Amino acid sequence: MTVVTYEGAQFPVADGETVLDALLRAGQVVPYGCRAGVCHSCMMSADDAAPVRQAQAGLSDTQKALNYFLSCQCQPASPLEVKVVNAVGEKKLVEVLEKTALSDTVYRLRLAPGLSYRPGQYVNLSRDAKLSRSYSLASLPTDPWLEFHIRHYPDGAFSSWIANELNAGDTLELQGPLGHCIYAAEANQPLLLLGTGTGLAPLWGIAREALAQGHTAPITLVISGRSLDDCYYREELLALAAAHDNVTVTWVLQEGEAAVQVEVADIYQYCKERFPELNGYKIYLCGAKTFVNKLRKQCFFAGAAVRDISTDVFLQAGSL
Amino acid sequence: MSVYEKIGGDGAVEAAVDIFYRKVLMDDRISDFFDTVDMDRQRAKQKAFLTMAFGGPNNYTGKDMREGHKHLNLTEEHFNAVAENLIATLQELSVPQEYIDEIVGICLSVKDDVLNK
Ligand code: HEM
Repeated sequence: MTVVTYEGAQFPVADGETVLDALLRAGQVVPYGCRAGVCHSCMMSADDAAPVRQAQAGLSDTQKALNYFLSCQCQPASPLEVKVVNAVGEKKLVEVLEKTALSDTVYRLRLAPGLSYRPGQYVNLSRDAKLSRSYSLASLPTDPWLEFHIRHYPDGAFSSWIANELNAGDTLELQGPLGHCIYAAEANQPLLLLGTGTGLAPLWGIAREALAQGHTAPITLVISGRSLDDCYYREELLALAAAHDNVTVTWVLQEGEAAVQVEVADIYQYCKERFPELNGYKIYLCGAKTFVNKLRKQCFFAGAAVRDISTDVFLQAGSL
Repeated sequence: MSVYEKIGGDGAVEAAVDIFYRKVLMDDRISDFFDTVDMDRQRAKQKAFLTMAFGGPNNYTGKDMREGHKHLNLTEEHFNAVAENLIATLQELSVPQEYIDEIVGICLSVKDDVLNK
């Protein structure tokens, strides 16, 4: 017999009983489906990987890396704490270390570190109980800060507060991390990273994380934007590509003139022509909803496996 | 031994699921049913379908199939489209014809439930 901790309470798990059955027996409401380890409806995440390892058959590398497991397959031998996948954690107050304008519309916010996360995950930032938004982490856990890229929408309450009122030394509330758009690939698997706008934030984290972990296969970054003025971190990206033989970066713009590493083209057409065969690739798509959804389908049709496509979708501009 | 075991168990389902899912999304007769934003979740559902069609481990009953598909108002044409894509997937993976026949047999056994007839 052991115990499972769920939403702050402890529940007994009998020998041979699964985590799912123990929670259901105690009257907890948790999602489930086939109870045979196939449909993934009952997927949860655990505080520790060891007790749930035998309940990870059929999960993707990304899911395993985040300690996800199937509660209908898990008969734990030792106590563990579980959460419904992507349950938000506690809120904490963090200090603003730095605020810098990266372009006319994008601000970089660096906050005091002290969060355990994987690059590419996101957090909720809040001004107060009424106003909060999700932003992706652009930093690595080894950086002495948490970095976010925030696009300022003149009509957006939260981003206007960041742009006009928040200063270094102030604090804001942070809740997370969330999401599963993280580096989880074989070192010799080619990576394709496609982003629009501040979709660069998670990609910037993921690309550097891949390099930090010794990724050897090509890492291809494609940034889509209206014009070059839209694209921040140009020098940083060029420096990254210059420093690593396996990294290339291309900007695909709607307007302007083609130049070295800059193409003027429709991004969907560009991807079709440039990447007709994506079997075996690990793909990251970050940015606006239409961009992500269209390219996800396109990449899947070009041969990429569903599990090799990770996405991070941003809310519509109107709601920010 | 079930066909599921004969063709390689979970490994066979893994090999088939993306191929089948791709075909279904490209088939105008039925793509709308499966064209959701959450592709990971949809893929897991497709795996549940294939595992069941191969006679693998599952706890679905005929009643579950009826309840689960009732709201979709499926027709003969939809059923045939799914079956055709499944057969094409299995052929692409060089599954022997006798096993394909067995799998089609399993699908036919739940046809009335799925079509709520
Ligand atoms: C050969 C017969 C079929 C079998 C054995 C079968 C089996 C299944 C199974 C096991 C599930 C997952 C249920 C769950 O959520 O646990 C499912 C869901 C579903 N099936 Fe079928 N199915 C069949 C035919 C069809 C057909 C012909 C269509 C439509 C063209 C269809 C459309 C769906 C849809 C839309 C879902 C729900 C997916 C979701 O929740 O997103 N099925 N089916």
